[in-house]
Amino acid sequence: MSKKYDAIIIGGGHNGLTTGAYLAKAGLKTLILERRYLVGGATVSEELYPGFKYTVCSYVISMLRPEVIRELELPKYGLEILPLEGLFAPTADGDYLALWNDHSKTREEIKRHCLQDADAYDEFGLMLYHMAFAVKPILAMIPPDITSPTLSDLRNLGRLKKHIQQLGSEKFYMLSKLMTMSSADLLDEWFETDILKALFAFSSIIGTLNGPRSPGSAYVLLHHFMGEQDGQYGAWGFHKGGTGGLSQAIANAARHLGAEIRCNASVSDVISQNGRAAGVALDSGEEIYADIVVSSLDPRQTFLKLVDPKQLPGDFVDAIGNYKFRGSSGKVNLALDGLPEFTAMPDPSMLRANVELCISMDYLERAFDDAKYGNFSKQPFMDILIPSMFDPTMAPPGKHVMSIFVQYAPYELNGGWNDEQRDAFGDAVIDTLAEFAPNIKDLIVHRQVLTPWDMEREFGLTEGNIFHGELTLDQVFFFRPVPGWAKYRTPLRNYYLCGSGVHPGGGITSAPGRLAALEILKDLKK
Amino acid sequence: MKKYDAVIVGAGHNGLVAAAYLAKAGRKVLVIERRRFVGGAAVTEAFPDAPGFKFSACAEGAGRLHPQIVTDLQLQRHGLETLPVDPVTVSVLPDGSALPIWQDPGRTAREIARFSKADAARYPEFIGFIDKMGAAMTALITMTPPSLPKPERGDWLPLVKFGLKARRLGKKDFSNFLRIISMSARDMLAEWFESDVVRGALAASAVKNITLGPIEIGTSFWFLYRSIGSRNGCFRPSGFVKGGMGVLTGAMAAAARQIGVEIRTGSEVAEIMVKNGRATGVVLGDGQKFEATVVVSNADPRSTFFKLLDSAHLDPFFMRGVRSIKSRGSVARIHLALSDLPRLRSPISGMNGNNVGHFQISPDIDYLERAYDAAKYGGFARKPYLEVSIPTLMDQSLAPAGKHVMSINMQYAAYLLRKSDWDEQRSSLGETVLETLVEVMPNIRDVIEHMQVLTPLDLERAYGLTEGNPNHGEMTLDQFFYMRPVPGWARYKTPIKNMFLCGAGAHPGGGVTGIPGMKAAQAIQSSLRD
Repeated sequence: MSKKYDAIIIGGGHNGLTTGAYLAKAGLKTLILERRYLVGGATVSEELYPGFKYTVCSYVISMLRPEVIRELELPKYGLEILPLEGLFAPTADGDYLALWNDHSKTREEIKRHCLQDADAYDEFGLMLYHMAFAVKPILAMIPPDITSPTLSDLRNLGRLKKHIQQLGSEKFYMLSKLMTMSSADLLDEWFETDILKALFAFSSIIGTLNGPRSPGSAYVLLHHFMGEQDGQYGAWGFHKGGTGGLSQAIANAARHLGAEIRCNASVSDVISQNGRAAGVALDSGEEIYADIVVSSLDPRQTFLKLVDPKQLPGDFVDAIGNYKFRGSSGKVNLALDGLPEFTAMPDPSMLRANVELCISMDYLERAFDDAKYGNFSKQPFMDILIPSMFDPTMAPPGKHVMSIFVQYAPYELNGGWNDEQRDAFGDAVIDTLAEFAPNIKDLIVHRQVLTPWDMEREFGLTEGNIFHGELTLDQVFFFRPVPGWAKYRTPLRNYYLCGSGVHPGGGITSAPGRLAALEILKDLKK
Repeated sequence: MKKYDAVIVGAGHNGLVAAAYLAKAGRKVLVIERRRFVGGAAVTEAFPDAPGFKFSACAEGAGRLHPQIVTDLQLQRHGLETLPVDPVTVSVLPDGSALPIWQDPGRTAREIARFSKADAARYPEFIGFIDKMGAAMTALITMTPPSLPKPERGDWLPLVKFGLKARRLGKKDFSNFLRIISMSARDMLAEWFESDVVRGALAASAVKNITLGPIEIGTSFWFLYRSIGSRNGCFRPSGFVKGGMGVLTGAMAAAARQIGVEIRTGSEVAEIMVKNGRATGVVLGDGQKFEATVVVSNADPRSTFFKLLDSAHLDPFFMRGVRSIKSRGSVARIHLALSDLPRLRSPISGMNGNNVGHFQISPDIDYLERAYDAAKYGGFARKPYLEVSIPTLMDQSLAPAGKHVMSINMQYAAYLLRKSDWDEQRSSLGETVLETLVEVMPNIRDVIEHMQVLTPLDLERAYGLTEGNPNHGEMTLDQFFYMRPVPGWARYKTPIKNMFLCGAGAHPGGGVTGIPGMKAAQAIQSSLRD
């Protein structure tokens, strides 16, 4: 038997690192194992073309929990978030809508499209702020098992009840609707301007195989609004050096707190003894033992790949089998020889904002229609960021990198994904982009296209789902990942989950990682 | 001037049920109906140009009617006769083959075996599961929604009762219930069945009369809602009313009259009178006034608050909620007077030749979803989902001897057409339906004597259904339970004192259940007692 640890964390993504850091902080001898050559999981920056650093998967930060920043003292270890300057969205008729961090500028801009919407925008922002405030404590709590609540669940339910009653009826009703309605219906209640609706609606579809008219999408909109920068809700930032810089900061914190991190260490199996997790076996054959094992991988990998499902209750295995992933997005990263020129953009400095090719509500919905029948969108939605505009370390002087998040690219593509389909998908993205920025094709010196299959293979994201499972009503809170097992524990004793597949779900929040650590420490009575 | 305890606007089935219960409790009740006969959307009508043919214009089937109402109002004594429909439906496929869904799950399983042995094996278990889920749903929809977020004292008992019922389901099934009401029918069915034919046949029930495709969240909820009152293991209760749906509402009216309810037909209410924030009665179009202690509207919430009330009496926040109610009709009804019985392309096993009283065109999930896509963009489906019934196969009295009627429920057709209007597109819609039908019933065109097409706009005009929505507002999760019709007003009361809602726009919602009427009567009774 080799060296013995108190805890082994499988996977060095941002949640795995977070759990590792918290456990180390509590004095546990902790080992974090990462399959790839670098930590970060889907939160990485890589130089895939000499001199150009790509934010390969995730690219912006907003939802990182402030308590994690505080408790792990992340700024001390390199956390540095640069604010983004707003959103720029061209329309089909050559016009555009821009939303800035500067409120009065945004107001003027919306007024240009519709006077009433400028007022509605303020009210809507306030409403979302209230809703984010209403949901925040729910996201920060351990989901109670309402089918057979324990004493502490009842206490939590009591707290939840008190919280909801304090909200007052108006906000409670709004929240109830937001949880169940579609973003299109929500936005129709507030705004006239189609492009303004589309600019909100895109955040309601990210990471799901749903369209803006799908019930449940309003919640995803709220989920994305939950982020805060220095207490300002809905604000987005870019981590210096890309999101990989954030992973490095958490890893540094973990190391400083005493955790050991091993890269190039791929776990093949969780070793169990007498119905308890006792350690892990690596691909190399090496076995490492520990009192507890924590998986930051998604639920399918955690239960159906790392563990022999026969060790788990049949119902549980069935439920994990029914857990929906359905990756729906792709990523295109470009190394550019210069700056793209968007026909609709009056001033190139606006490239410091996110460019959103959301075009119209129908555009988004039609992009979804392609995907629901198993095709990638011929005219996809794109969330475009040029990190080198505000972080010169990302590209050589005068050159740029462009990160394009694309939807929809369904995992279950008709005929399946292959090299040819990947290229066709990449071409559809560039062709669509060229309609709005005609010079783009001349600027591309390198292009990386990630389909959901690539994301599964490279980053271990089952079916390419960036959230470790869809954020739909039947898969959040006490349903996540399956009812009865939403509290980070699993049917295999001493085996825990700490990734985005548990409450409160996906995004760079570190919230599942932190909550899992707190639950583990409770079990260990630390 | 006569003074009533309650005046009810609209003699739809819920209005009549509410009236009868109030009268039973000793109240003096007046029901006012705009049309010349009672029934609302549950009526038997005649073709204006084809004498002797009769059809159920909108609603069909009384399978979901709460059994308590049948007993309490002695509807059978007043002429109600329902016949079980078996097979419940037949899913007719493009290749001419068919999957009949029988009342008996074992028999259905044998049919399913032709498509998938595994699905056949699971079907009886699925039906048992849906029965259990349906029981939980029934418990939910027969309770008055609690006042949330702060329940009132009287709310706890029903909540606890529901909790106990839910507990009886067991931990696993209760979680399943919560999970299933928040998922899509496609996903729910995929957990059970592998065959596209089976999934498509069952999914039809999850989208009938709503404007969502089967892949959308909430359709599974609607599937369960529609399985309430299911008996003997049939997930989709029907119940053919002999003489058409007008006989059902006729029986309700007769029962109501017998216990003292006064019903005035051919009188349109122009306005609900309000004084000092209280409803005091109604004014008819001809100026006649009727005073009453309470006024009850059987009309849908948007019609009620926008057409029958002066907005000066209403709180703007509440009206914002009413304005936001999604009505969104997407159903068209087509009625055919037939000179002879049309024949399906191939005979259906176990049935008398090619005669089948009910069938549907819903071959698979994607077919339904594509039909929905058309409505999303303000058009109508060129390959629509159809529910077809030939009531004369069960009741020859609905047509002259040897002749038949056919009623078709067509989805999806957007109420608001983007590129045209319904007065222009009506015949094109009818033609699309015939084109779809002729694929499975080659001789249909030869036997049509007369055809009536009711677009969503026609349903609005003729039956007062806002946007042609048969459920008085979409049956989606965000418009259910304590959120129906608007959050905070799910207990039949309205912001105007002494004014109540009793129609499908109130909890629990649409379908011929009578539950909104029955529950509204209870709420009105307790307010009259106070």
